[in-house]
Amino acid sequence: MNKNKAIESDPEILSRIASLNVLATKLVEGLLSGNHRSRHTGSSVEFSDYKDYTPGDEIKHIDWKVAAKTDKHQIKQFEQSTNLKATILLDASGSMGYESSNPKTMSKMDYARTLVASLSYLFLKQYDAVGLSLFNESLISHVPPRSKPSHFKHILHELAVLSPNGVTKLESVIESMVERLPGRGMLILVSDFLTKETDVEKKLKLLVSRGLEVILFHVLDSDEVSFPFNGDVVFESLEDDSSIELDPADIREAYRQSIQEQIKYYRSHCAKLGIDYVFLETSTPLEQGLTYYLLQRKNLGKH
Amino acid sequence: MNFNFLSPIYLVGALGVAAPILIHLMTRRKKKHQRFSAIYLLLQSKNRAIKQSRPNRKFLLFIRCLAITLLSLAMANPIFSLGDSNNLGTKGPIAIVFILDDSYSMATQINQKSYYTRAVKALLDTNKSLPAKSTFSVVLASSPSRVLQQWTTVPKKAKNLLKSSQPSPRTTDIGAAIKKSLLLLKEVPQKNKLIYILTDRDKNGWNKEEFPPIKETTSYMFNIVDFSKMQHGINKAAVEHTEVKQEFLSNSRVIKVKVKTANLSQSKPIRKLKVSLWANGKKQTEGNLDIPINSSTEKEFSFPLGSNNSISGEVRIEDDSLLKDNLRFFSYQPDRTIKTLVVDGDPNTVEHQSETFYLERALNPFTSSLSNIEPTLSTLAELPKHNLFDYSVIILCNARNLPLGYEQELEKFVLRGGALFIALGNQVDAKFYNEKLGNILPVFLKSVHQVAMNDEPFRLLIKPSKHPVLKIFEEQTLEEMKSIEFQSIYSIVGRENSKFTTPIVFSNGLPALIESTTGKGKVLLFVSTIDRDWNNFPIQPTFLPWIQRWIKYSARGLDSLIQKELLVGESFDWRISPKNNKDYIVAPGGKIIIPPSVDGKIIFKDTYIPGVYQLYRNPRVSNLESKTSTPANLPYGAEPAGSFTVNIDTKESISTKISNEEINNLLPKANVIFSSGPQKTTLNKTNEDIPLFTYCMMLVGAMLLLEGWLVRNE
Repeated sequence: MNKNKAIESDPEILSRIASLNVLATKLVEGLLSGNHRSRHTGSSVEFSDYKDYTPGDEIKHIDWKVAAKTDKHQIKQFEQSTNLKATILLDASGSMGYESSNPKTMSKMDYARTLVASLSYLFLKQYDAVGLSLFNESLISHVPPRSKPSHFKHILHELAVLSPNGVTKLESVIESMVERLPGRGMLILVSDFLTKETDVEKKLKLLVSRGLEVILFHVLDSDEVSFPFNGDVVFESLEDDSSIELDPADIREAYRQSIQEQIKYYRSHCAKLGIDYVFLETSTPLEQGLTYYLLQRKNLGKH
Repeated sequence: MNFNFLSPIYLVGALGVAAPILIHLMTRRKKKHQRFSAIYLLLQSKNRAIKQSRPNRKFLLFIRCLAITLLSLAMANPIFSLGDSNNLGTKGPIAIVFILDDSYSMATQINQKSYYTRAVKALLDTNKSLPAKSTFSVVLASSPSRVLQQWTTVPKKAKNLLKSSQPSPRTTDIGAAIKKSLLLLKEVPQKNKLIYILTDRDKNGWNKEEFPPIKETTSYMFNIVDFSKMQHGINKAAVEHTEVKQEFLSNSRVIKVKVKTANLSQSKPIRKLKVSLWANGKKQTEGNLDIPINSSTEKEFSFPLGSNNSISGEVRIEDDSLLKDNLRFFSYQPDRTIKTLVVDGDPNTVEHQSETFYLERALNPFTSSLSNIEPTLSTLAELPKHNLFDYSVIILCNARNLPLGYEQELEKFVLRGGALFIALGNQVDAKFYNEKLGNILPVFLKSVHQVAMNDEPFRLLIKPSKHPVLKIFEEQTLEEMKSIEFQSIYSIVGRENSKFTTPIVFSNGLPALIESTTGKGKVLLFVSTIDRDWNNFPIQPTFLPWIQRWIKYSARGLDSLIQKELLVGESFDWRISPKNNKDYIVAPGGKIIIPPSVDGKIIFKDTYIPGVYQLYRNPRVSNLESKTSTPANLPYGAEPAGSFTVNIDTKESISTKISNEEINNLLPKANVIFSSGPQKTTLNKTNEDIPLFTYCMMLVGAMLLLEGWLVRNE
């Protein structure tokens, strides 16, 4: 609950995202009238329901025909239609629960939460439908994409109650998700990609082949990149691996090499598949990373 | 299999492993627990890392501890033996009697370590390996065997006793020790009972007569451990006997010591064995001996007599593996000067016609006083001028009577310990003797018996005698004495209630010489003349020793000074001294002992230390004297009363070993196991013994190299 509150009451990030929203809105609107529209054909604004007028409601939305018939002031409610349905797939496995050794740095999970919340807000701000799926070895929860502004609360709630555990099984999760995802939508995958699986790129290829636009946010804690530990350390697994005792200095270089190879692996395969790959280290301020990414997309003429 | 250490003290060094452990604990880094996300990557990385930058600290610690342990092990000189000296043959609690041979042959040394030391160590080692709840006792096997340690379950108790013990100078008596062990084993409830004999298996200690009956030994198990490895001839030679005598009737005063030395080897003759003779702490003479195989050789050594003081000495031969039989003690008491007052009752201006002419020459045959008798001549008239107490012996020769009242002086002299020798003759006033000398003369002079011209003269009845004076006269001398002719003699008759003996009688039964004790003194009466007037004795060759010995005897100069030779453990018997005297024995080392007296005899049994024991007698006993049996000092006035020597019995030196068969015959039907004691010597090293020092040191080197290599890689 605290985390939820932290997210909700983190005005700084939200306001920064909101300030970025100006550019984003413009970009989205531009895309909607241009490339975006041509790519995703959506429907117009559709009636949804009536509700009693309450002061503050716009008068123009009063259905005067109904008022004439029933002598009651009813407000027409509309469902905003969108051209984009985005699904954010957030890794909720144990490895995402890593707490940084640097207390000033945001934890990996919080970082991912904030990222997801920011993206959701951004999408909703643009009247795009956004959904959220949480997974570890399987899907834990699924919030279908909606474009209502109130949908943001659902997403925030899911994020708030999220507790990382279990093992990352990305391949099987993607496999099971493929059928559920709306065609030609967008899939944003937020994970640390710390998994022993070796065929992730095939599954990504599968997603791309379904016409989905896929964006990978690879979130790692700074410790996971630099491996700054010293002394005799017993490393206990956050997932299902057994503990290991070693002197970090012995393997520091090898580890760094391994993690860089993994980053390189995803970067190169994503590039091949036309997937946006964004590597975010928790030590990097989120707005900086996000801004950099959006600017990059803008420059590339996407979205 | 058996594992022993020659220097187990160095095992303490193994405690040094505490140092690296301490350092390890002090420098140990605290382990941190860190939850981490990418364990699989760590494992991959660990496998990819070619070498570990830091050695395994626990492995390093192990290597360092191992190196220190191996070093201390190497210093302790471990010996691995395939033979099992601790073959106890049982796993349950046992009752074990250790029979430890502590006879002097166990002092045989090989490489500066005696059989005994090795046996004690083996005993203590065996003790350590006893099953739980076992009990043990220790019996010493030297004669007489005795229990050193009663039953106990605490090995420490025996350890202190044994560590401070040494081989005794006694001989072995295994049989008696087994008897004692069987008695001990009857006291304990354990089912498993074992007799563990640690010995050098010298044959002389296994006398069949001393062994218990066969039925008593059948149910027991015997383990006989031999520490000599059945080696003969390690002990080369032994001094078997010494005999000391003083050269008699020679121009020089010489002590002669006859030394009998044995070659104990059955294969090698001894060439030029060094023999030295020591007396009163000084080397007097030395020589070399050649001794054939397995036989003895006698050689006489002589050295000049410096004074009349008693001689304590020893004969030494050169060192071999058993030192205890390389020396033998002797003592000798030369005759002391006896001042004698000779009263001539019939002096004559012609010297050779004087009554004392022959006597004086017999008492002091040479110009220098070599007989130890110093005669002073006096006439009856001169007698009052002499102080009688300056003399030990007064000889009255054919004295008619004594100056007025002098008989009382003479009586005092005798009562206080003086000796009076009276020789009769034609001048003697029998009435005076019978009336005035009644208190000191136990007989009445009756009449003179004279032989007619052609009649057979009186002759002495000659037969071997045990009297101290006469016992030295042997067959030929006795034959010569038969020829002595007596023409005249006094017949005597005993006074009422008087006590006297007649050591010499004539062939017709008449007394020739009587002896009586008055007070502390002695009175001797010779019934004939001491010159040639009534007999031809003075010109006989036997006269000189005869008269000298009577004078010495009467003055307590003969045999009153004890000289005896004993073997270790033999008791010293001594006729109890006259009333009010107290006797002392000064043992080798200076310990003063007041010997106990039983039934008029002193029986001193504590003769277990070889050496010369001095005897002292104190005639002036006061109440202030120490009442303890071991006074610190001799009381004032104690006089030397002789000495005796105690030497080892050299039969223990003969290193003939008893065979397994012979032992089995002594212990038929008993379960007997034979084994050899550990012998870590080059001489006796067997193929079974494997010294592990080199291997341990090699391992230490390897450990240090490995440690260095690991640390260098760090």
